[in-house]
Amino acid sequence: MGNFLELLTSTLTQGFLYALLAYGIYITYKILDFPDLTVDGSFPLGAAVTAVLLTHGANPYLTLLAAVAVGALAGLATGLIHVCLKVRDLLAGIITTTALFSLNLQIAGSNLTVERAVETIFTAPPTMALFGGMTLLYRKLIVSFLLVLLLKLLLDLYFKTKNGLLLRAVGDNETLVTTLAKNKGTVKILGLVIANALVALSGCVVCQEQRSFSATMGTGQMVFGLAAVIIGTTVFRKLSFVKGTTAVVAGSVLYKGCIQLAILAGLPANLLKLITAVLFLVILILGNLQKSGVKQHA
Amino acid sequence: MKKILSVLLTAILVFSLAACGSSSENEETSSEAETSAETVSESEAETPSAKYLIGICQYGEHASLDNCREGFLQGLIDSGLLTEDDFEIDYQNAGFDDAVTTQIAQSFSAENVTLMCAIATPAATACYAAAEDKDIPVIFTAITDPAAAKLDSGNVTGTSDKLPVEAQLDLIRTLQPDADVIGIVYTSSEPNSVSAIAEYEAKAVDYGFTIESIGVTAQSEVTQAVDTLISKGVDCFSNLTDNNVVGVLAAMLEKTNEANIPVYGSEVEQVKLGCVAAAGIDYYQLGIQTGIMAAKVLTGETTCENLPFETISEYGIYVNSAALSEMNITVPEEIMQKAVEASEA
Repeated sequence: MGNFLELLTSTLTQGFLYALLAYGIYITYKILDFPDLTVDGSFPLGAAVTAVLLTHGANPYLTLLAAVAVGALAGLATGLIHVCLKVRDLLAGIITTTALFSLNLQIAGSNLTVERAVETIFTAPPTMALFGGMTLLYRKLIVSFLLVLLLKLLLDLYFKTKNGLLLRAVGDNETLVTTLAKNKGTVKILGLVIANALVALSGCVVCQEQRSFSATMGTGQMVFGLAAVIIGTTVFRKLSFVKGTTAVVAGSVLYKGCIQLAILAGLPANLLKLITAVLFLVILILGNLQKSGVKQHA
Repeated sequence: MKKILSVLLTAILVFSLAACGSSSENEETSSEAETSAETVSESEAETPSAKYLIGICQYGEHASLDNCREGFLQGLIDSGLLTEDDFEIDYQNAGFDDAVTTQIAQSFSAENVTLMCAIATPAATACYAAAEDKDIPVIFTAITDPAAAKLDSGNVTGTSDKLPVEAQLDLIRTLQPDADVIGIVYTSSEPNSVSAIAEYEAKAVDYGFTIESIGVTAQSEVTQAVDTLISKGVDCFSNLTDNNVVGVLAAMLEKTNEANIPVYGSEVEQVKLGCVAAAGIDYYQLGIQTGIMAAKVLTGETTCENLPFETISEYGIYVNSAALSEMNITVPEEIMQKAVEASEA
């Protein structure tokens, strides 16, 4: 049972850490209706900056802000390429991601490992003062949970502001935004900036948790994020009181849970991805079958 | 509406609080375990009834890495310290996915494995990070530069698969006395390859070669890079242990065979696939060496801290006679005597 609890804890932690990335994709894909491929580059960008800062003795909490800043810049690049240079949305993201691959390696030098002696947000004194009584495993859970909760609340607040409503309007009906005498391009850029800041933040915390940066860690993150957003919103589709942000966190946790189940299944190692795919399909089918109000908790 | 949401959130909070509660219990037991660790390891060695659980995390499906794993299992037995009944294996393959590697490593920690065996660098960094909480020993293999990956101190050790670059250059010089330019394709994001290229470039001059190298970022670019190097007129290709390049070796060989340019491998599996020859390491042997180290750590004979990482000092020379004759290369007798035939008949 102890094993099960620990597995659950590490799976939830993974789900929370990557939920930050899923928030970003929720904004671009679900709200802005913009297929943003910058994610595969801005995720390792956040990790690269974090790894370099940490190995140079920077405060681990400051790296969170640094990652947000560089991620925002990556989003800004994609936004400007798309809006000002009139490059198609998919291609704009591809251009930024391709450039970031080299940039990330320039920043980090090569793949980087952060030594155990270096403090991370999970081991630094302020965290230890609050949660020092717990083992590292549970400290990781509580810190990542608090981060996800904080950003969820911030995002929910933001979506209610005038600016946040404009963001949603661009995704739903671009013409409406123009008739409101607002520049839809600016709104799109803003959305991309926020989204990629969140993605890079996710890269930052994943880097601190894993104590390493690798140039290829961004590969497939876009696919993961899409899956998490779609799984989450499908499962909670009929439950209107569940906010999109909550659904996305659930989707991320479910995704990581599926992989964990596949690992646990003890089948031949090469079948891992197949089992994961089957589990996703099952979740999506169950989500579609679900009648409103039948499930209160998932 | 809001109420239900807050109920959900409280439920999660309560769960995490419950988790904290149990964590303190865990900590107590783990600290108890720590204090009695030394005595336990001794008594465990005397009573073999308690099985060691070994978690093997392999980064991806790859002939060389498979050889490492099989060698590792053989090495556990070869050490003379363990029999097959002494340990259980939980083998997981991450399919070259970094995020999955992390989850595998964390599930090993949750399972309370006695030791983690990590094959290839990403697996090792993930296992070492996951092992931090419980300070589980990690034994790695197939890592070119453990010091650069910061895996040279702490409760972690293993074997490095650093290439014998000079031996390879010497072999190429002997087999192709007139060759000038060696073409190498490598992945710019693989630190192993980048450091190997630097070594090639530094040492090529001593053997009268120049190196023409192209760095790629993805597997799909490898064949393009090969085409470019062929058009630049390289006299031969030499491979590193670069996962991306080795993964499409068959496609590479198709192009080089057409252009009649020999390709030298970096280990036995590549020669089996059709490279003419290689001065390289045998990953199976490397695995055995790793397994013996693991057995020593498991039985408490020594600890990772007292066991520095090892490299293979003896490399083998592997030849593929069929490929050699196709390229009209004759191998001098003294090389043929110590070479191992690695063509798959």
